[in-house]
Amino acid sequence: MLKFALSRLAAAIPTLLIVSVSVFCLIRLIPGDPASLMLGDLADAASLADLRARLGLDEPIHVQFGIWIGNALTGDLGRSITSQQEVLPLLLARLAVSAEIVLIAVVLAAIVAVPLGMVAAWRQGGMIDLALVGTATLLLSIPAFWMGLLLLLLFVLHLGWLPLIGYVPIRQDFTQGLLYVILPVATLFLHEVGVILRMSRASTLEILRLDYILHARAKGLSEPAILWRHAFRNAFGPTWTLLGIILGNLLGGVAVIETVFAIPGLGRLLIEAIFARDYPVIQGCLLLIATMYVLVNLVVDLLYPLFDPRVTAQ
Amino acid sequence: MRTILISTLMLGMLGAPATAQTIVASIAQDVRSTNPGVNRDDTTDGVVLHMVEGLVGYREDGSVGPLLAKSVEMSADGLTYTFPLRDGVTFHNGASLTAEDVLWNWARYMDPATEWRCLAEFDGRNGVKVEDISAPDPMTIVMRINKPNAVFLDALARTDCGMAGILHPDSLAADGSWDRPIGTGPYKFAAWKRGESFEMVAFDGYVSPPGDKPDGYVGAKTPRAEAIRLHVISDPETIKAGLLSGTLDLAAVASTDVPMFRSNTDFNVADSMDASKHTLSLQTADPLMSNVALRQAIAAAIDLPMLVAQVTNGMGQPNASAVFPQSMYYSDIQKQQFGHDPARVRDLLAEAGYKGEPITIIANKRPTTPSFETAVVAQAMMQAAGINAKIEVMEWATQLSRYFSGNYQMMSFSYSSRFDPALSFEQFSGPFDGKSGKVWHNPEALALIDEVKAVSDPARRQAIFDALHQMYLNDVPMIIYSNGLNDIVTSARLTGDVSWQSKLRLWEVTKQ
Amino acid sequence: MKDISPGALCGAVLTGGLLAVALLGAVWTPFDPMALNFAARLAAPDAVHWLGTDEFGRDVLSRLFAGATTSVWISFVTVALAVSAGTLIGVISGYFRGWTDRVLMMLNDALLAFPGILLALGLLAIFGANQYGIVLALGLGYTPTVVRIVRGTVLSLREREFIEASRVMGNSDTYTMLRHILPNCIAPLTVLATSMFGWVLLAESALSFLGLGVPPPEPTWGNMLASGRPFISQAVWLAIFPGLCISFTLLGVNLLGDALRDRLDPRMRR
Repeated sequence: MLKFALSRLAAAIPTLLIVSVSVFCLIRLIPGDPASLMLGDLADAASLADLRARLGLDEPIHVQFGIWIGNALTGDLGRSITSQQEVLPLLLARLAVSAEIVLIAVVLAAIVAVPLGMVAAWRQGGMIDLALVGTATLLLSIPAFWMGLLLLLLFVLHLGWLPLIGYVPIRQDFTQGLLYVILPVATLFLHEVGVILRMSRASTLEILRLDYILHARAKGLSEPAILWRHAFRNAFGPTWTLLGIILGNLLGGVAVIETVFAIPGLGRLLIEAIFARDYPVIQGCLLLIATMYVLVNLVVDLLYPLFDPRVTAQ
Repeated sequence: MRTILISTLMLGMLGAPATAQTIVASIAQDVRSTNPGVNRDDTTDGVVLHMVEGLVGYREDGSVGPLLAKSVEMSADGLTYTFPLRDGVTFHNGASLTAEDVLWNWARYMDPATEWRCLAEFDGRNGVKVEDISAPDPMTIVMRINKPNAVFLDALARTDCGMAGILHPDSLAADGSWDRPIGTGPYKFAAWKRGESFEMVAFDGYVSPPGDKPDGYVGAKTPRAEAIRLHVISDPETIKAGLLSGTLDLAAVASTDVPMFRSNTDFNVADSMDASKHTLSLQTADPLMSNVALRQAIAAAIDLPMLVAQVTNGMGQPNASAVFPQSMYYSDIQKQQFGHDPARVRDLLAEAGYKGEPITIIANKRPTTPSFETAVVAQAMMQAAGINAKIEVMEWATQLSRYFSGNYQMMSFSYSSRFDPALSFEQFSGPFDGKSGKVWHNPEALALIDEVKAVSDPARRQAIFDALHQMYLNDVPMIIYSNGLNDIVTSARLTGDVSWQSKLRLWEVTKQ
Repeated sequence: MKDISPGALCGAVLTGGLLAVALLGAVWTPFDPMALNFAARLAAPDAVHWLGTDEFGRDVLSRLFAGATTSVWISFVTVALAVSAGTLIGVISGYFRGWTDRVLMMLNDALLAFPGILLALGLLAIFGANQYGIVLALGLGYTPTVVRIVRGTVLSLREREFIEASRVMGNSDTYTMLRHILPNCIAPLTVLATSMFGWVLLAESALSFLGLGVPPPEPTWGNMLASGRPFISQAVWLAIFPGLCISFTLLGVNLLGDALRDRLDPRMRR
């Protein structure tokens, strides 16, 4: 187990390197230049060259990369071009905000949607199935920026139950913090319920068709017992993988939701950094996102055998 | 993580949540920094200028008036400027303002390590050089420049230069790095949660310049509210909900939402005009667009008033001049526009030898400018007149790099404010070099612009600006169609003008 | 399961309708979807403009027709791209395991960790702001998800008796993969592909919301939905109709996908 984890972590190093190199090159290939964005239409050739030199953008790209990666290895991700903040503390602060919302929403969604998906599969073709699948599809088809707005109009404007702006971290003030994350969490939750329900239903359908379920039925086991004892554990494997992917993706920030609810999360930071061509922040973000992705998937794979006894971690 | 903790502690020290006397507003992007004229954008300037002030500032008509100075005297040869300081002005930390402080600030701004963006305007690189600055007595500053220049004071007042704001030396940390602004402005820095909110509190010891009402950045400037809190919200729909729910006291909204707020008695709407220019730039160095008859045809194809009505929801004012309408130089000649004349388009196209080559209009979808909407309407008008116009939408940074390289035909592009017409013309005029983004390359016009920068006599300046405008109407290097228009909704609880030149101006604003 | 289930019928009708509209939109629309009409801005649905007009006075129904063509094309090509590339890599990776798997997964994880928006921006900059850029960006963005799902399925299939049997019988790896592994991936793939069809419609909409996306004025349902958002209080039809179109498309495609899976799954024929 430990050996597996260590070898996976070692295997992640080239992944992170690939991500770093390609991000580094890609953002410099994209037209647009942080120096001219900062100076705007005032830019004249001399001051532009000045600023580029100060930001170290006039060096050849491999030299720039060498400097960056050398510093990154010592834990120094540089300073943001636009805000002059140190990148690493900035990223961690923003990650904490995004992670809070994403973890709560995905865990709740999994708790609700996995069993519902199984029920739908169990009643395949029936009214319950159709209703669940229909609801899931509807939830899926409403973009987060619409769902967020609708919830906001309803709970903030019409009912006045929730505050609109002024995010407070939960670990700082539990009640206040909770009030501010309800809407973003609900927006994400509703969408993820749709995704997870469909996946869980599909995995369960697979399992229900397998021979041992037929055996179990032939043996006269009650349907709930079959569902619980056999179907649940086996169907949870693929769903678990999917949950890993969802978490890995979402931890990179939920830019749209963060934009709607004015939350200073990682996603919005990345979008703004991309628009401003804030190279150090983009590079740092990607490195952090990739690292998290690797870690989340490692945990998912380590735990996979718990849900699917046929696969051993090796 | 540490920054968050620190700012949270600072917020904690402020005590309970803001009282009813706090004006709550929204800004679309976070403040870049609190260091005036160094790391900034328009929003940042608007916020920072509540906390710091310069020797001089703009008046409403674009001219320059004394702010920390009592008056400004220019010597007969136009080389020496004397600024006696106002009495009784103190910094936020209680220290009195003296000429010594101004000398310290000037030395700091002229030090390249400060990275002041306007250094080139004063060290001779862009013409003007401040050769000497001295303090003959503790309350007087004298500056001597190398040659007469009509826009020297304008440069000192420029908001993007941070008004060359005068700071107390304690604004810097012990190691000389930037810490926080300790200025002389009506509001003091209180707290900044990056990416979330910015808070300022009233400066009790503020001494306002003379005047019974605000006049640009001069005139009455007393802080009337206890505090100002700005929230960073980028989604316009969330901003709207914030206003309607009473969370926000004021915010800029899209012009399409103005009718709704106008019909609601809980709100007032102020149309804030500014000197920024919305344009369709034509790259006159492009092979196709270098044809002046074709450019004239495009200008004649576009119905300017209709275009402006369409993109501003009927609220904007058409203006084809580089001079903004509130300026003292906005003469009858400046009011002339390109004539909309579909019949003439056909003749001009024939004269240009136009054979239906596609003309691409580049636009972006930033919510702060009507770039995309303008491109859509202009495309329809050009197509109706027989010009094969296409639209290419790109993200702003990409468009900006195309703008600077000059690699485009037509672009829906907005220029930031320039109050002095000479600087406004200079913004888009210059030789084509593939990196400066100038669109008007006519040597005759460039010579006139150079000339007017050294002229101080208003009548002579007016004559030159009028000649430039007529040359521009004939050359069509770009189609300026209107100036910036911000629709700012304020809660009925507020009284006073909350913005000027599309920047927040919250002094002399009260909240019930 | 011998007869067509109501769900499958519903899915077939909705998907058929979608394709018909997309085809029709390519050749005919009631009005010119790009024609501006300043006199009829934000007009509510009436006898002339059945579904109203937008902020430029363009006919919403015509734009929905034209948008169907673009949206269906984008979604279809994106999904085809992601599924074919992803299946190939996923099967190879899961079947051979070992070093092949490690190298492929390394690249895959690198791609997965790449935010779609950065990918989209980069590709749009390289290929120009057009549909091909979007398709490539989204296709490349979704490929790693397919890879992971397929690989996961293959990993668990590999342990089953019939795969073992095929190998013991001396069948080649290629044969085993094509004959035994691939057909068993079809079920999860159908679900994934049909979900993805919807994701693409929505991803394109989110890109529009964030200021990227298919360059307007060319209508797609996604950018219509995003650009209708500011008008929620004045012209709610601007968002409702494209929104409904996306919902019904998703429902139809998903139901059809479920039905297809039941038909295609080899174990169902037992």
